[in-house]
Amino acid sequence: MTPALLGNLGVSLALAFSLLGLALALLAYSQGDGRFLKGAKALVLPAFLAALVAFLALEWALLTHDFSLAYVARNHSTQDPLWVTLVTPWAALEGSILLWGLLQTLYTLLASRRALDPWRASLVLAVLFGVQVFFFGVMATIASPFETLPNPPMDGAGPNPLLQNHWMMAVHPVLMYLGFVGLSVPFAYAVAAMAVRRYQTWVGETRWWTLIAWGFLTAGKVAGMWWSYEVLGWGGYWAWDPVENASFIPWLLATAFLHTAIVQEARGAFKAWNFAFVTLAFAATVLGTFLTRSGVIQSVHAFAEGPVGPAFLGFFLLATGLGLGLLSRVSREVRDPVAFRLLSREGALLLGAFFFAGWALVVVLGTFYPLLAEAFTGAKVSVGAPFFNQVSAPLGVGILLLMGVGPILPWRRPRAEVFRNLYLLLAVLLVGTLLGLLRGYTVGASLALGLFLYNTAAIFLLVREGVLARLRAGLSPWGFLGNRRRVGSLLAHFAVALMGLGIAFSQAYRLEAEKTLYRGQAWEAGGVRMEFLGVRALDEGRRFAVEALLRTDRFGEVRPRLHFYPQMNAPLPAPKVLYTPGNDYYFLLMDFDREKGGWASVRLIVTPLVFWMWVAGGLLALATLYILWPAGRPEELKGVSPA
Amino acid sequence: MRAWLLVFFLALGVWAQEGPASPPPDLPPEVFAIARELRCPVCQGESAAESNSGVAVEMRRIIAEMLQEGKTKDEIKAFFVDRYGEWILYEPPKRGVTLWVWVLPVLGLALLGMGLFAYFRPKKPLPPELLEEAERRLKEPPA
Repeated sequence: MTPALLGNLGVSLALAFSLLGLALALLAYSQGDGRFLKGAKALVLPAFLAALVAFLALEWALLTHDFSLAYVARNHSTQDPLWVTLVTPWAALEGSILLWGLLQTLYTLLASRRALDPWRASLVLAVLFGVQVFFFGVMATIASPFETLPNPPMDGAGPNPLLQNHWMMAVHPVLMYLGFVGLSVPFAYAVAAMAVRRYQTWVGETRWWTLIAWGFLTAGKVAGMWWSYEVLGWGGYWAWDPVENASFIPWLLATAFLHTAIVQEARGAFKAWNFAFVTLAFAATVLGTFLTRSGVIQSVHAFAEGPVGPAFLGFFLLATGLGLGLLSRVSREVRDPVAFRLLSREGALLLGAFFFAGWALVVVLGTFYPLLAEAFTGAKVSVGAPFFNQVSAPLGVGILLLMGVGPILPWRRPRAEVFRNLYLLLAVLLVGTLLGLLRGYTVGASLALGLFLYNTAAIFLLVREGVLARLRAGLSPWGFLGNRRRVGSLLAHFAVALMGLGIAFSQAYRLEAEKTLYRGQAWEAGGVRMEFLGVRALDEGRRFAVEALLRTDRFGEVRPRLHFYPQMNAPLPAPKVLYTPGNDYYFLLMDFDREKGGWASVRLIVTPLVFWMWVAGGLLALATLYILWPAGRPEELKGVSPA
Repeated sequence: MRAWLLVFFLALGVWAQEGPASPPPDLPPEVFAIARELRCPVCQGESAAESNSGVAVEMRRIIAEMLQEGKTKDEIKAFFVDRYGEWILYEPPKRGVTLWVWVLPVLGLALLGMGLFAYFRPKKPLPPELLEEAERRLKEPPA
């Protein structure tokens, strides 16, 4: 048995089990026969095990340096450290599709354990098996991770050095995939609900699954931002790169759903929106993969290109067509019968969803515009960060505004005492913004400060109200913490407000300068004084490193580096970042005197409040965990839900 | 250690042509502010401020020189547009083929806003004749 053989066996079996499962699940639905459903359910575990075998076969091939596999030869080297070898399955296209497929079977396994009525259960399984058929079909035909080479090389080039440079690379892709794949379950629930025309019960169950996917997606995005900040050497965390955009779109749509779902749970309205958001969020993950993997766009993520573009485009059209087609079939039945007031919680939630959907629309337009312009007019155009920043700012402000008001407003119509709180909040917003302007901040930064204080005040008011109500009722004030959804959402809202503050200040007050220093020369910039002491070369086996020794007044000795990899013709800068709660100091070695080490060209980037963005990212993950922790599960999930 | 350094600097010969003959010039913050709005022509979606490719390094040097000569930001951007076309600008100009990328989001949001307005508008009560008809039918004995 070789890894290639075992891997191909695993992929083929997973494909076969998924196809059979799909057929049985569809039969179970059309015949209304529970035996077929039992059969389909019985195939879930074998499909997962087959996918696991295939994945382990790839790990086996990597660990044993089996260069007869094309994937191993292209992405692995005997020089790689163990942890890099272990994460190499997701360093390139075929392996990441395999990881995706494995996680899909895992989600299918978890989803199949949930009790549902037989009609919906068969359709949920059918959709999930269908997704599996697609992924394992792609692996079995056009993008096999187990393709063999007739003349295996003695050693390979190793994964892209950008991927070896930071441990975050072990985490970020897995989190992203867990998020992407997780959105397939809500999609399956939505398809099932629309097909069997039961529009209410699905929403609570789906919200739970969506929150899981959303949590992973959020964590994955923050991890990616941090990786970009620490590794790419440009001192930023978000570049509006097409691939970043592609994963931002499903995040926006999932966020929209998480909010409109609350309205359906509480008031039975917004059914159509919920179906649309869930369908589009899942479709957007597939579209994003098409963008990433097809090579139609230029991106820093282009290391995972391949021939799978058309397949993913087709799958995207299929999924969108299925979801929206079903929605148009039932559109008369899911129409909302009553009018809404703008000034009510449901009004704020719907308005917020519009902002998220509008933002997704804007990002889609900007990302695809260069493609479309070139296809139709032949003109090459660039749409980059300046465009996205300008169109995103008003949307972000709108969302931050609603985030404070929404939870304060009661359902249906505001009572008189609510207005007192609203005026108070508006006053905080005004005072905060004025305070910023008086301190000489830019308009954007002042507004961000105002919005941060406003949101913090809103959360304070809500917590105070909750605690006071409990005290009046003679209950322990800490019981407030037992309302996990409420507390978790408030924590998440605080994290978002904090992140908004970090984004506004780091965008407005970034300072970047570069200087060539001769040995012994000092430079003062961005409030730091540094003296260049010389350069030092280090041999680290798979790469050479060159360090510049800088003696600073605030941080002692700082050593930014350049890494030279044999497989790269240009050196990779390895920045030295000093995090402080106020400013981040980001030291980069750009170039140095190769003959005598007499000079070094050093870049310093000072960015305020970036530290708090990582804190906010951690808080978002904590908030999600707090809501999802077993006690937070909705009751109806524990048994078969009534129709 | 000394031997390793020798090997290393020999290996550096490979990259020697990468490095410039003279030390890079000093770049004040204004250079990066301009470079961030220009595309690095040979990179995968990076700006001239971020990339370390030879072209981007050269672009930053040119921007620094032009700033020292007293050229304005717009003049510098125009210089690069002359060389590479408008494709070099990361902020698409609001005319010609890229006008639509600015117009479409506004149109889209306006449409969404109109949809929203329609959604929140109080539903009109049923016309009186329909209501009368319904009431009349309620009073009638079932057939």
